[in-house]
Amino acid sequence: MAEQILGIRGLDVAAKGVPILRAVDLEIGAGEVHVLFGPNGSGKSTLLSAIMGLPPYVVSAGEIRLGGERIDGLAIDERARRGIGMAFQRPPAIDGVTVEDFSQTLGSADILHREAASLDLADFAARHINVGFSGGEVKRWEVFKLFLQDPRLLLFDEPESGVDLEHISAVGDAINRLMRTPNRAGEARSALIITHTGFILDYIEADVGHVMIDGHIVRSGEPRALFESIQKHGYKTMQP
Amino acid sequence: MLTEKSMPALSNEERNFLAPVGYEDDARRSGTCILVDQSVRYVHSEDPQVEIMPLKDALGLYSWVQDLMFGLISPDENEHVKLAAERTEDPVGHFVRVREGAKVRLPLQTFSVIGTPQGRQFIHDITVIEKGAEVEMISGSAVPESVRAGHHVSIGEAYIHEGAVCRSLTIEQWGVDMDIHSYNRTKVGAGARVSSNQVLVAPVKHHASNSVSFLGENAVANDHSVVFAPAGANRIMRSETHLNGKGARSESLTRMVTAGGSITNEARLVGEAADTYGFLGCDGLKMTDEGEILSVPALLARHSKSQLSHEASVGMISEEKMAYLMSSGMSEDLARDLIVEGFLNLKEQDLPSEVRSSVKAMIEAAKSGSM
Repeated sequence: MAEQILGIRGLDVAAKGVPILRAVDLEIGAGEVHVLFGPNGSGKSTLLSAIMGLPPYVVSAGEIRLGGERIDGLAIDERARRGIGMAFQRPPAIDGVTVEDFSQTLGSADILHREAASLDLADFAARHINVGFSGGEVKRWEVFKLFLQDPRLLLFDEPESGVDLEHISAVGDAINRLMRTPNRAGEARSALIITHTGFILDYIEADVGHVMIDGHIVRSGEPRALFESIQKHGYKTMQP
Repeated sequence: MLTEKSMPALSNEERNFLAPVGYEDDARRSGTCILVDQSVRYVHSEDPQVEIMPLKDALGLYSWVQDLMFGLISPDENEHVKLAAERTEDPVGHFVRVREGAKVRLPLQTFSVIGTPQGRQFIHDITVIEKGAEVEMISGSAVPESVRAGHHVSIGEAYIHEGAVCRSLTIEQWGVDMDIHSYNRTKVGAGARVSSNQVLVAPVKHHASNSVSFLGENAVANDHSVVFAPAGANRIMRSETHLNGKGARSESLTRMVTAGGSITNEARLVGEAADTYGFLGCDGLKMTDEGEILSVPALLARHSKSQLSHEASVGMISEEKMAYLMSSGMSEDLARDLIVEGFLNLKEQDLPSEVRSSVKAMIEAAKSGSM
């Protein structure tokens, strides 16, 4: 296996005292793309949120390591500065804060103008973040945000949901381009992608697939084979 | 009468503490009037379309000015106004007149300064924008670094005549322990348009403002205020807009942020005539558990064809928004600053760039002193 970027062992996560994830183990190597399947409410988004450190999720057991360093006790921004970036499924609208303000604050205004056109976001600089964005615009912005941030580990929470077919390909291309481009430190990027529909598999090259049910990872393997099995038999045969 | 020759030029120190509230040299302004304590420190205009002078001089020069003084506010309004009305000394304040039809190219500026620690200032300003004239006005208040405490009471009466256009920007930067009371009355004539931006972000112990506007037929008023209250600040704003003439329209947006201070905003729209339209937007953001915001928008329709509406909200900075911005690597402080600046909507304010940066600096300074 390639150098381990993300290492999760025995992870239990709860929200407001309610356990959601139990004994999750997951390893992602440098340059690898992993996809995570699972029915609604299985805990997929909770796993991404726990890696990112988002409230209200609390790690109650186990550990999360990034590049060997334990990060589950770090604040959100400290995790981000160590190289984790997340494309949200339903990000908040931030009235009054423009895309340009955001990129200037991150010190990446030059990237804004260079990369925006590739995601059909050239006219976005003056728009307020996620205010009045269509479903497709939200997804494209969330991917574009990762270009501005330049993380090493990319977390995508259902990047294709709410996007029309025409733009799924743009989102998929952008994810591929991000993956192919090393970060500014020259490190290969890795990704963990949640997909509910599996459409994104038509556009990206995934290395490993996982199935999460009831807060457990119940199966891992070749992603297309896993997805075909889910399409044919549903999640019933994969119960823990 | 005070003449320009009898007034020494402004010192560098004076220019420096007035610059953050919008002061520019004479070459970039159509007129300037600066009041310091109980006297007119500086007055200047080279634009023949603009008259700007001490109110005392205007009362001597034009008999009609006495009809404008207390024309929009009763001398019995309250104890402060009564105190000002009954003063036996000469009135202190500016008189501004923009002549009929004038299209004034450069902004006109007026400032009030308390230059003496524990100074007392009673000011009465009269502004007349005549029929069809267009002007931009910048006004502000400031104190030198050495002055922290004092008391300022001001009365402002503005007459915006038929078809005139007046855009105004007001930036206040009083001393941290000051007590401020301001009373403004504006009469907007038929078809006239006024837009005002008000920036109240610097620390102040107590600031009570009371303003009333009267809009004539098809007159339009838009105002946008950003208000910030660091710990120890108490701001009370009361306003009334009367849509008196048929077709009058008004839109008022107030954005308030407390970092521990107290803000009260009571805004009332009164629809007095047919086909009038009015909107009040009053939003508040709390940065900490300390401090409070009371937002009271009120609508009073006296005519069946008056359409009035309001929106009001008060809440803490959203944890979700903070987490979202921090997940891109921004520190908690940077994320909070971005949200607050976005909420205050400084970009939408028509602020000169140098003023915009000084406003941001005022907010920064106020926050660091209060958090």
